[in-house]
Amino acid sequence: MNIFTGLINGMISGATPILLAALGGTFTFYAGIFNIAMEGMMLAGAFFAVLGSYYFNSWLMGILCAILGALLMALIFILFAVTLKTDEFVTGIALNLFALGATTYLMRQIFNVKGAFSNPGIVPIPRIHIPLLAKVPFLGEILSGQNLIVYLTIVVVFLSAFIIFKTRFGLRLRAAGYNAPSLDSSGVPSASIRTWSLIICGILCGLAGAFLSLGYVTLFSENMSAGRGWISLAAVILVNGNPWGIALISLLFGFTDGLGLLLQQYMPSQFTSMVPYIATLIALYFYSIQARKRKA
Amino acid sequence: MQVLIEMKDIIKVFPPNVVAVDNVTTDFRKGEIHAIVGENGAGKSTLMKVFYGLEQFNQGEIRYLGQTVRFQEPGEAIARGIGMVHQEILLIPQYTVWENIVLGAEPINFLGVIDRQRARQMVQSKIDEFQFNLDIDAKVDDISVAARQKVEILKLLYRNVSVLILDEPTAVLTPQEIPQLFNELRRLRDHGHTILFISHHLEEVLTLSDRITVMRKGKKIATVQAEETTKEELAEMMVGRAVLFTSHREKSNPGMEVFSIENLTYVDGTHHTRLENINFHVREGELVGIAGVEGNGQFELVNSIMGLIRVTQGKISVNGFDITNAEILERRRYISFVSQDRGKMGAAVKASILENVMMTHHRLNPDFTTWKGLILNDQFARQFTRQIEQQFAVVMGNQDNPFRSLSGGNQQKVILGRELLLDTPFLLLDQPTRGLDVGSIEYVHETILKMRELKRAILLISADLEELFRIADRILVLHRGKIAADLPTDQTNIEQIGYLMLEGKEKNLAKEAN
Repeated sequence: MNIFTGLINGMISGATPILLAALGGTFTFYAGIFNIAMEGMMLAGAFFAVLGSYYFNSWLMGILCAILGALLMALIFILFAVTLKTDEFVTGIALNLFALGATTYLMRQIFNVKGAFSNPGIVPIPRIHIPLLAKVPFLGEILSGQNLIVYLTIVVVFLSAFIIFKTRFGLRLRAAGYNAPSLDSSGVPSASIRTWSLIICGILCGLAGAFLSLGYVTLFSENMSAGRGWISLAAVILVNGNPWGIALISLLFGFTDGLGLLLQQYMPSQFTSMVPYIATLIALYFYSIQARKRKA
Repeated sequence: MQVLIEMKDIIKVFPPNVVAVDNVTTDFRKGEIHAIVGENGAGKSTLMKVFYGLEQFNQGEIRYLGQTVRFQEPGEAIARGIGMVHQEILLIPQYTVWENIVLGAEPINFLGVIDRQRARQMVQSKIDEFQFNLDIDAKVDDISVAARQKVEILKLLYRNVSVLILDEPTAVLTPQEIPQLFNELRRLRDHGHTILFISHHLEEVLTLSDRITVMRKGKKIATVQAEETTKEELAEMMVGRAVLFTSHREKSNPGMEVFSIENLTYVDGTHHTRLENINFHVREGELVGIAGVEGNGQFELVNSIMGLIRVTQGKISVNGFDITNAEILERRRYISFVSQDRGKMGAAVKASILENVMMTHHRLNPDFTTWKGLILNDQFARQFTRQIEQQFAVVMGNQDNPFRSLSGGNQQKVILGRELLLDTPFLLLDQPTRGLDVGSIEYVHETILKMRELKRAILLISADLEELFRIADRILVLHRGKIAADLPTDQTNIEQIGYLMLEGKEKNLAKEAN
């Protein structure tokens, strides 16, 4: 495997969790929720994925538990921000901190380890080898042999764009964000649309978490989402929720992630792990310039 | 005609003890345009809201199509064919006309995908049926307020509503757009729809409706046939006393020049000339009116006088002081300003009445502060608020209540009180009676005329020509940023000014003679 395919594969696996979480975030973005809880949902997903996979000896159960864990976070968010109408930002912060504390605590209690839990009993999500694509010269190593979740993510991108822009649910979803009283007066309670958007977000963040702990690596470590939820939020805001734009931005972040790993050979890892975040700041800078141009 | 809706002894009490609707019994017939008139706070909107299910009534009975009904929410009313268009337009600006209309009742295929073709067809057929003249693919953001209102009405027609309740639909329209709306409403009536029309504009009500129900302080005063009543009679029923539609205007006796604008030109950021070579002056004890179709430079004129925009060229002065480039606070020493938008520029609606009264004064009048302007003098401010309350007959509860808890008329009285007690030589009044009911308008006009007697120089900008003819001494016509005419009120008439507003020049009499 040469450096090029290594870099591309690094980009894809770096982009996948960000992309999934960002697609979840775009549903809530269109529904008019300032949702910053993707980080916490993803972390909960990653932890429960390992838990499920380890105890049931099945990656499928791992994914299922990841989704349930992230959904639990989403339901807390729904209870507070939608039903009780607390501030979304404060709720999101609380949820992210709660997820960090709860997963760390549960890992120490259940597995009796500190820092990270890795065990041969954790079943990773398999890579899919597609016989025909694998034979494509040069690209075969990229097109085939990716993690199951990677292929799933590609489907989710198309599906998200379709649901948001073509279906009745999408029309109502965007209406909830653009002008909720108008949707309410049309006979559709915007609160129920918001609830559904958060449920979708929970499911997708759960998948993102499962990929982190059962695909990207096969272990759970404290705070292993490491800001990816925040980057996904940045991606959503940067492109105003457009699923195609999110895919592009996620690949860009994935690339810097892969680049960071590559650069680890030459400089301390503390510096290389800064790369995605610096890329976020740079992207924000260019975005603000563009936004100012559009206004004028 | 068949009675469609019967209301019997309806009572609605807002806790703790505000009786909004007080034992109202009335009926609405199928296929009529029925106006409900009354001052702000008379209970006309509340009466419609309890019918529509937006509010629940405490006592009484409503019968619709012979059946007793009590709608728990608007959805139930819509399902029975009753729809309401609210004052504030509730549409999604990012969506097209047809998307807005079908939202909530979209035709879909088995996959949940919107059937665009069928949706557009259904909307278009409704538009054709009632000749509404709308482009269904236009973005709502790009269409006029009048067109948006049509979309709201169509949204209900699309849901097969046959009883339409309209809450002050003309409040958001320009004078030119109103006749078109009225034609559409008449067409709906002729198709068998029933229209309930809430308004406090008596001329409109008289031209449009078949029957009129008058309400005052929650009670129904009478239901009359439109052709059998007059504006004066309606106004008396509404207010409870005779209302003078012609103010007694003393011949003005203007003194020395107070306010002047010389060669004023303003070019905006997109290189459009919004004001061009404006010249006029206002003398003490003189009331100068500015007429014009909205958007012909009134906004820019007000903003350049108040210092909200920097003029390109020219000079503005008060009492001989050049204020063209002065700080806003400096201008406020000479200018009292009533803005056209009470809720945005005129007041901070979430702040208390007391705080709103103090604004501007706390910077200009040292009595409002102690410690060299650092600490507000609460006691003095409260006393001053009481003075406004008494002098301007404001109905207010606690001074610490939020400003928005006041009714529209009382809000305007507080603003007028605050501004007029600044004791400045020059008053700038931008649409001071917009959205007020007849009683309040009369009060505002009296106050303005009183100020004229006190030798203040007054500039009044108004979209209401009758208002200008009632109180102004001189009328300037603004057309495309230029002053098209400057005429003493007693030497012109509404038709002439109306023509100048539209065309910017005098009617060519020679041509007419041919």
